[in-house]
Parts: sequence; C-alpha cells; structure tokens
Amino acid sequence: MLNFIKKIQGKERDREENSPRQEAGPDQEARPKPEVSRKILVVGKGEAPDVEVMDYAVNLAERLGYDLIALSVNTALGQKGRFFTPYKYHLREKFTHRARVAGEALQKKAALRGVGLEQVVKFGDLRSAVLEVHRQNKRIEFVIAQNGIKEKEVNGDLNIPVFTITGYQGERAMAKEADSRGSGVIGKTVGFGLATAILYAAVFMNTETVMHYFTKGAWYAALPIVTVFAFSFVHGAFSNYLWEALGIQAPKRVQPRPSAAKRPVARRRPRPELRINT
Amino acid sequence: MHDIAPEAVQFIDLSLTTITFLFIVGFIGGLVSGFIGSGGAFVLTPGMMSLGVPGAVAVASNMCHKFPKALVGAYKRWKYGQVDIKLGLVMAASAGVGVQIGIMIQEWILKQWGEAGSNLYVSLSFVVILVVVGGYVFYDAYKTQKAGGGEQTNPLARWLQSINLPPMMHFKTANLRISMWFTIPIGFATGMLAATIAVGGFIGVPGMIYVLGASGLVASATELVIAFVMGFGGSVKWAINGMVDIRLTLIILAGSLLGVQLGAIGTTYVKEHMIKTVMGTIMIIVAVSRGLAVPKYLKQLGVISLEESTISLLMGASFIIMCIALGVGALIILGSMWRAKRAETAAEAALALDKGYS
Repeated sequence: MLNFIKKIQGKERDREENSPRQEAGPDQEARPKPEVSRKILVVGKGEAPDVEVMDYAVNLAERLGYDLIALSVNTALGQKGRFFTPYKYHLREKFTHRARVAGEALQKKAALRGVGLEQVVKFGDLRSAVLEVHRQNKRIEFVIAQNGIKEKEVNGDLNIPVFTITGYQGERAMAKEADSRGSGVIGKTVGFGLATAILYAAVFMNTETVMHYFTKGAWYAALPIVTVFAFSFVHGAFSNYLWEALGIQAPKRVQPRPSAAKRPVARRRPRPELRINT
Repeated sequence: MHDIAPEAVQFIDLSLTTITFLFIVGFIGGLVSGFIGSGGAFVLTPGMMSLGVPGAVAVASNMCHKFPKALVGAYKRWKYGQVDIKLGLVMAASAGVGVQIGIMIQEWILKQWGEAGSNLYVSLSFVVILVVVGGYVFYDAYKTQKAGGGEQTNPLARWLQSINLPPMMHFKTANLRISMWFTIPIGFATGMLAATIAVGGFIGVPGMIYVLGASGLVASATELVIAFVMGFGGSVKWAINGMVDIRLTLIILAGSLLGVQLGAIGTTYVKEHMIKTVMGTIMIIVAVSRGLAVPKYLKQLGVISLEESTISLLMGASFIIMCIALGVGALIILGSMWRAKRAETAAEAALALDKGYS
C-alpha cells in the first residue's frame, strides 16, 4: 500500500516537473497549483462522435469524475501534397465550422452533467491525431473509439487502453436494458399464447374423458398435478411475455444497490502529496 | 372431512357466468397474492360454493390452483431478489406440522359441536386473528407512511435476533440471523391458520415481519414459497381422493397466472410499506365480513334466535364485503403501480429532454 502511494506520488512529481511552469519562483510552493483533471478521449471520424458514443462517454465521465476531449478527425482531407487545392482548404474550413457547432452543443450537454468537454478537430490519419492530442493534453486515461474504428488505427506508439463502442447501444446499454419490446417478445407472446390456447382447448374439448380419469383418485392423482404444472409453465411464460410486450415490467433498479456517492460540486480536489515544511 | 366417496361428488356444469366469475376472481386473487404473498382463496372457496360446487371440491380445486400460482409468483419475485428460499423451506416444514394439528383440532371440534360449531370456530378465529394482526399491520403501515416510508426492524424482532439459542440460522436474502426455535412457532401458526381459514399468509407474513424481522418485501415473497410447498402437499392429498375439478382449477389458473405476475411486478414499483397497507386493509375488511357470518352459526347452535331473512341478508352482505376486500386490495395495488409508473415515465421524459442536444 505504502509503495503504491509512493509510486503515485512519484508519478505526480514527474508530471509536475515535465509540465511547463508558468511562474517559477521561491514562493511557488505556497501557491495552489492548477489542478489537471483526468480525461477520456472520445474519437470519432465525423464532425463529432456519434450521439450514442457521446452519451456513453458523458455518463462514464460523470461517474468517474473525469473530463472529456471530443476528437473529430477527418481522414479524407488529411494529406497535404501537390494536389491539395484551395477547394480542399475550403472543405476543411467547412468541416471545422460544422464540427465547432456540434462541439458547442456537446459542451452544453456535458456541462449539464458537470463534465468539462473540449473539442479538438484534426485532419489526417487517426493515429497521429490521437498522438498529437495526447501530447498536448496531460492525463488522458483512456480512449473511447466510435464504432468502426479499430484499436490499431488509434493506438500506435501510445500505451493507453482503447475501448470501442460496438453497435449503437451506447448509453442505453450502460444506463438501462435495451428496450425489449421488440419483435422477439411479441413473437414469444404469440407463440406461448397459441400453446396455451391449444392446451386449454385440449382439456375443454374432451371434458368428459378428462374428468373421468382425473377424478379417479389414487395413482391417477398425478394427472391433475402434472397438468397444472404444464399449464403453469406454458401459461406462466405467456403471461410473463404478455406483460412485457405491454410494457409492464419491473424497473431496472429493483435490487437496492448502495448508491454511488454524490458528486461534489467542486470536483477538483487537491491530491495528496508530500511537502516539507520549512 | 375426507370421507366423501368420489362417486358421490357432483361436479357442476360450467356456464359462461361461472367461467367469467372464476376467471375474474382468479385474476384479482392472483394480483393480490403476487403482491402480499397470499389471498384470493378466502373469496374463491365461498364463491365456488355459492355457485353450487360441493365444499370439498371447492377447497381441493382452489388448492390445486394455488400451488402453481405460488410457484410462478415465487419464481418471478425470486428473479427480483426478494425470495429467501431457505426461510421459506424452514417455515414450510413447520407449517406442514401446523396443518396436521390444525386439521386434528377441526375434526375434534366437528365431533364435539357438529358442523355449526366448526363453522363458528373458523369464523371466530378469522375475526379475532384478523382484527388483532391486521389492525397491527395497518397501524404499522400508517406509522411508516407518516415517518416517510423507511421500514425499520421491529423491537421484538431485534430482541429475538439478539438471543443466541442454538441452532442459529442465517437467512441471506432476508438478511437476518435468528434461532431456529423462533422460526418454528411462526411456521406452525401459519400452518394452523391455513388448515383453519385456508389463508396461512395472514399469519405467516406478519410473523416473518414482526417476529423474525424480515422486510415486508422479503416476507411476502417468501410466503409464496410456503404457499407452494403447502399447496402442493395439500393438492396431492386431495387429488388422491379424486376431489380436484381440473376444469375449475384451470379457469382460475388462467386468471391468476396473469394476476400473480402483475402483482409481483407491482412490488418493484411501490414503496415497501404499501405491502403492509394492502395486507392490513384486506385483513380488516375480511374480518368484518366473517364477523357478519357469526350470528348464523350462533343461531344454528341455539345460542341466539334470529329471523331467517336477517340471516340470509347477513350472509349475502358477508360475501359481498369479502369480494370488496379483494377488490379494494387490487385497486390499491393497481393505483399505486399506476402512480409509480407515471412518475417514472415523467422522470425518463425529463431526462430524455435533458439529453437531446443534436
């Protein structure tokens, strides 16, 4: 434990030393240093990362107390060469403008949840864009890449984890179960409904025979017992899916879980560090 | 009690009214039992008898629908993490003994004072137990609601839990540790009551809450396990005697399997004290209903004299009030589910509005 703390403190010191110091002087120790928050880098190939990916990232950042960097990369307008025409410059400007507009909306949205968001627009290949952002910003803890971006594309020389959101479930997959009122549930409702109807028809169309054998007693007692078990499985499954198809199902927070501590208003807390009182 | 030969039993012809009545009562009974762990039987048995079903067949068919319903309800609530299977099985084991003793007492009373005496005993037990226990449950629910909804362990349960009398048992889901010797009387009383008035849950659930210290949610869910075990045992016994009218059972089951799942879902929406409120309300209304039936049996025993028309009026009122008890319970459940669902939808809508940025 102690070693771990020392290790962290060591890393902190390294970071402080490497960072450009704006004011260096004898009174620096006494002044509070600017806090650098931890960040998640969200990478998208369009003007802004997808809504679902951003929702997921904002949720995650809120819970972890991190900030976000939304990186929009345009790979098509990357290479500057002989064929880089003024028209392409125009396209770049247009892309940047659109990305900024989207970025402002994202910022507002993130601010509602108390998450800081910075938008960066880059052109060229993903790997160098991510590398550049990583160099410019300290404490990027991991990368969330939008669907369709492979880890190899993002992570070249960097040694930080890259997570990809596959599919477009994003925030929904994280915050709650996907809406199950799909064709699957309706199909099962119909299927089990038919099976139930057949079972009922089988009994009620042969009432005489059924009643004759079922009330014989002794070992025939197994007949009504087995029957009600069969009915409870088929009809039970039917009613389960029926309520689900009608949208009546338990809310997800059924089990009272220990709720996560409320996020403090001032999120940037001073980190522990060793100081020598002089 | 069991000496009716199968050949002598008359099974009724089904009409549309009968089917509709059984289906609806089955559904409402299922809804209530999915929510509070028991219920429905106290309306179904007299209801079926008023349709012309012989008493033994009514009890047998009712019981045969009870255990699959309890099975489905218990499974559903187990998925919600509310069922303490161990507690249920321990209680069911002692309840089994309670049922046997309860039947023996019934038979003894039947021999001593005849059918009227037996009925009087049943009605009086109903009134006394339901007024005392139901009144306390209702008072406690009212108190909890006033205090803001947080449930607290009863002082009696806390004291019993602190007594270290081996063998101590730990119930994980109910989150309590108590001596086995305190669970036995509760299970036993549940069984006795089940044998007497056919609704053991009226003792079992309050017993688990106030004596053992389980929460209302866990107690009512665990009661379904007890109901399954006892219902299964009872049904096998009745089926061996050939008393189960499978048609009646299946019609009630059709309604109650729908109801029991809705009731189980309901528990996940409402505040915990709602279970106690519903239970207390039903118990008190049922007590009033059974109280109205007492004069009839007193007259049969020659204790009081009453006009025949008054008696039939009282009996009619008694049955209607019984139906009202179930109806009121169902209304409270559906009403609070509706409110909770609406609040949830409103919160989701607000969140969605908050999220829309592009």
